[in-house]
Amino acid sequence: MVDEATQVSAFGAAAVHALCITGLTAADCFSGRGALVSDPAHALRLLVVFEAPLVIAVFSLLRRDPKRCSFLKAAARGLLGLPVGALLNAFGAIVLGAPVGIKYWTATTYWSLLMSLFTFVPAACVFGASKVNWQNVLSHSNYCRPTNAVDYMISAPAHGAVIGAWLGAWPMPLDWERTWQEWPICVTYGSVAGYLIGMAISLLLIVVTRKRRDRAKAD
Amino acid sequence: MAAAASPPTGAAVAGWTMVSVLLQVVGLCMFLYGFFPVKPTLPGFSGVESYRMPSCGSAGGGEEPALPPDQLRSLYRELSEVPPVYDRLVLMVIDGLPAEFVLGRDGKPPSKEMLESMPYTQSLLTGCKAAGYHAKAAPPTVTMPRLKAMVSGAIGGFLDVAFNFNTQAFLDDNLLDQLHMIGYKLVMLGDETWIKLFPTLFCRQDGVSSFYVKDTVEVDFNVSRHLEHELAAKDWNVLVLHYLGLDHVGHIGGRQSVLMPQKLKEMDDVIRRVHNAVSNLQDNLDKTLLVVVSDHGMTEGGNHGGSSCEETDSLALFIGHSVESSYCSPYDQNEALQVDLAPTLSLLFGTPIPKNNIGVLLPELFNSLTDDQKLRTFELNSLQFLRLLQAQLPAFCIEDCIDSKNGLGIDIFPGSVEKKLCHLLSEAFDSHHSSRLHQRSNFKSIEAGYYGNAVNAYNEFLRYASEWLSHRATNKPFYLLVSAISLMIISCLFLMGIVYCLFKGKSLSQVEHHSEWNLDKHWHLDEVFIIMGIFLYVISLGSSSFVEEEQYTWHYLTSTLYLIFLIKTTQSVLKESNSAAVGTERNVFYANNCSYVTSCKLIPSKRDGYKLCTVLFILISGRIIRAWHQGGVNWVHFSDISKSLAQADSSIVKALQLISVLAVVLLYSVSLLLLRPRKMNILIVWLSHLFCGILVVLHIWQSQINTSLPAEHSTTSIAQIFFVITSISVTFTFVASPWIFPIHSMEAESTSSGSNPKTAIHLQGINHSMFLTGITYAAFWCLLQLLLQQPINAIPLLLIFLQMISSIIHFSTDTSLHKKWVQIVAMQFLGLSGHFGLGNTNSLASIDVAGAFIGISSYSTVLSGILMFIITYGSPLLLYLGMVVYSSIISSDGISTTEQLKWSCILDKMITLPCLLPLLVNSIALTSYTIVLLFMRNHLFVWSVFSPKYLYVCAATVCTYAGVFVLAVTAVYIVIVLSFRMRNYRDKSI
Repeated sequence: MVDEATQVSAFGAAAVHALCITGLTAADCFSGRGALVSDPAHALRLLVVFEAPLVIAVFSLLRRDPKRCSFLKAAARGLLGLPVGALLNAFGAIVLGAPVGIKYWTATTYWSLLMSLFTFVPAACVFGASKVNWQNVLSHSNYCRPTNAVDYMISAPAHGAVIGAWLGAWPMPLDWERTWQEWPICVTYGSVAGYLIGMAISLLLIVVTRKRRDRAKAD
Repeated sequence: MAAAASPPTGAAVAGWTMVSVLLQVVGLCMFLYGFFPVKPTLPGFSGVESYRMPSCGSAGGGEEPALPPDQLRSLYRELSEVPPVYDRLVLMVIDGLPAEFVLGRDGKPPSKEMLESMPYTQSLLTGCKAAGYHAKAAPPTVTMPRLKAMVSGAIGGFLDVAFNFNTQAFLDDNLLDQLHMIGYKLVMLGDETWIKLFPTLFCRQDGVSSFYVKDTVEVDFNVSRHLEHELAAKDWNVLVLHYLGLDHVGHIGGRQSVLMPQKLKEMDDVIRRVHNAVSNLQDNLDKTLLVVVSDHGMTEGGNHGGSSCEETDSLALFIGHSVESSYCSPYDQNEALQVDLAPTLSLLFGTPIPKNNIGVLLPELFNSLTDDQKLRTFELNSLQFLRLLQAQLPAFCIEDCIDSKNGLGIDIFPGSVEKKLCHLLSEAFDSHHSSRLHQRSNFKSIEAGYYGNAVNAYNEFLRYASEWLSHRATNKPFYLLVSAISLMIISCLFLMGIVYCLFKGKSLSQVEHHSEWNLDKHWHLDEVFIIMGIFLYVISLGSSSFVEEEQYTWHYLTSTLYLIFLIKTTQSVLKESNSAAVGTERNVFYANNCSYVTSCKLIPSKRDGYKLCTVLFILISGRIIRAWHQGGVNWVHFSDISKSLAQADSSIVKALQLISVLAVVLLYSVSLLLLRPRKMNILIVWLSHLFCGILVVLHIWQSQINTSLPAEHSTTSIAQIFFVITSISVTFTFVASPWIFPIHSMEAESTSSGSNPKTAIHLQGINHSMFLTGITYAAFWCLLQLLLQQPINAIPLLLIFLQMISSIIHFSTDTSLHKKWVQIVAMQFLGLSGHFGLGNTNSLASIDVAGAFIGISSYSTVLSGILMFIITYGSPLLLYLGMVVYSSIISSDGISTTEQLKWSCILDKMITLPCLLPLLVNSIALTSYTIVLLFMRNHLFVWSVFSPKYLYVCAATVCTYAGVFVLAVTAVYIVIVLSFRMRNYRDKSI
């Protein structure tokens, strides 16, 4: 199942993650401090605009079968995956209680696009429509057995973002009367934090598995 | 709880479960007894000693000989040094009237509509002939504790709510008894709560019941019809009028009800009549005070019981000669406490202040007195407080205070509260003393200055002491509480231990029988999530905001769990389509386990579709239920579906109700059609269900017509017929279901080719009976709920019913996808989030009182209490009934050998987990919340947020017991009967 052509070194993975983080920080700098709280829709739009090309480009480079599938095709898959993933994320959020009023419509759209970039788009770029790979990414069992480094790079930040967003929603019903308790501000904070933690974990996992594999080879 | 005569494991499980449940009940009772004590009160009645300075050390004085009323009255007058300001009192209680309706809010006059509704009262206010106060009522804002607070000046224990429907005579010191003692004659007209509180006090009385909440006209007419006669009579000194109609109007239609202005006009008319009659008497010596009070306010929706400012905003309006003044601003926000009524009236009528009073006199009422007399009233109030403080703080003593002030005693009281009280009191007495010294000074300004100082000092002391006394946590027996909690913890650990042992045993047996199931050994996402979710829920109980907004927590946890189910289902669908070859092999396995709902042979792709669609449906309907009622406390004003429907045409709500009834009847018919052997008996049950459905429709129709009229006989009798038919047909189904299914049939023998045919038939019989009984329970329960619940709740109820059925379909299509315990907990979660979806909150205000009297023709505490419980816990109980259906599906799971076919073994498989897990989850919630409550016992919100929630937790425990009991009894009965029939059949065939 492991494809040698797409093996990524720990350094490469770090570079990919650094690129993604750069996109986020650039968007944050561009929108200005506290923009997410004062104008969440605007800030989220900037985040999506900055992050989307980076994520699609980087993960299209890491596509699973580079011989049969061109870079452009992978990027197109990513572009197609963006709205699909956004729909799935929006469904999840609304089912979990996100407000559905017209007032929140734009913010929800941009938030789900961003979540799609964190979760769905990388997998869409890399795997395309391969069922087996999707199944691997969906399950958490791939942390237990040694897998491809790219799998880690996709699934750990994605799981981190989802868990972070889930945890980030907890303060929302409290009566602290802070603006950041509004949908989707604290959820976005949570998902970004989870995303970053997921990246760190994926790097750690890559390093650990690499070492284990090296040791096995040496034996 | 399961089989009593089963082999060791089953019996042991049952025994241990019983033990832990008993331990839990004992612990709960102990905790309730310790935590909600009847507040320690000073016994006896205030007498002559209350006019003297209390001595240090021994608080109680010698017993005075009982004097005849007249002598007592003159003795009091002599001792108090203040002449009574009034001789006659008309106390008019308007139940549930918010002060905002009369006095406006935040310095603004009330709305124009309200002003026009009460023209006479408003003219008195603007003419400076009346003084109005926003008298803040203490929670719980229900009638009986509020009446007690008004007449005794003490804030009662929290559990008074529980006794609200079971009033008992009031034995504490109170204003009415004091007035009675000095020979006043009392007359009472109105709410019979007064008669229950004071059964022997009134010389004439006419009580009306507050239990026909739908009646808004008769209750008040029954009071007013005596008015002319009583106002003409001159023999009484105290007339208590208690009007209930306004509260009933609120319960039916909320603050903005169309009946409200009309009702206010009626009340205004009563005030005008009383005031006119009273003013005409003014020429003789009798001076009459008219006091218009309300016991509590109401929320926007017309409910009460909680502690929001709308509910606690009660009115105190005084109309009499001592409040008349030349200048006033009637709509100023005059704040007072409801308990202030007691000392004020005591002092105005020259009786001792009730012993446990924590109210402060309202000085504006004493304008007709001289300055010296006014200071004396303050002093009397302070002396009464001093006695009460001495009871609470045994070391507190005014002489020590004065000593310490003079520098003689140093730090007698290490606690800051005592010090501060001491300081304030000695300050007050000092300034009173100096004011008395300067009384004869010639300079009016100096005299006024000293007087002002003294009043301020007294006010400061009284307010501080009052606040401290009311906030002081009652002395809770800490060790009793801790031992109660440890009992609960032990019971919780027992339950955990049983479940752990079961799982350990099960995994062992699974390894024996199915080596392929080894994969299940490591934890799945949903299992981890459930444990983590319960943990998060337990943590969230520690925060008052999360307790107030618990509906979010449950919806969030339940939806997340079902989202995880969705992911798992998608995964399994992906996996199956990957390995389609394996699928055919598995089909055999599925065919055995298929339930009735899906017993028609499904091709794999269709089954996948079912699996996905049911989860999606549960998720979406869960979101709709969440949006139906905003719920909670802080964001309750946000728009939601129920509010927009309430504003819309009532015919829409009616249509939704009809749709729900139809859907329930239809679903029941469909599920009965799925039962293979169709029998006459089933037809009878079906017909009775149909008939019940028609009755509910009729009831909806009737009550829609008569919203404005008082409760009609026809609706009551319809509901009664419904109750009778429902109970008969449910009992019939329960008794008959194991007898009607054949234990031998051609069809079954042909289908179950592989395994022992008798096995299959036997199991099928059990499953059929369980299914029939369970679905009958659930369907009739739904109809009952549709009858009792508010009309707006019809659709959420239907959705919860559908969610239950979808869950069962989902779990039965693929029994191996989620573990059994996960499925059971998921169903329990559904029930809990549905509980909040029906508009329940953790405040007592959301209990639907109006529904609890449907179909009850004579007042009965027990019956209406049961109905209230049924309404409030409709959703969790529905899901427990659903577990009866569910257990019919899981019973056949994994029974392969004939050795396992013993009835005890089937029973064990069928109900052990469905009984144990709800008990365990509830026990965890109960135990952890009890611990939280113990830690929060000094929290500011302990009475307003945490204690009401605790009552809900206790009720949820009762609900769990009830659900588990029904499940266990049904299963045990069915299995025993079928085994008995099997044995008979076998004997015959041999």
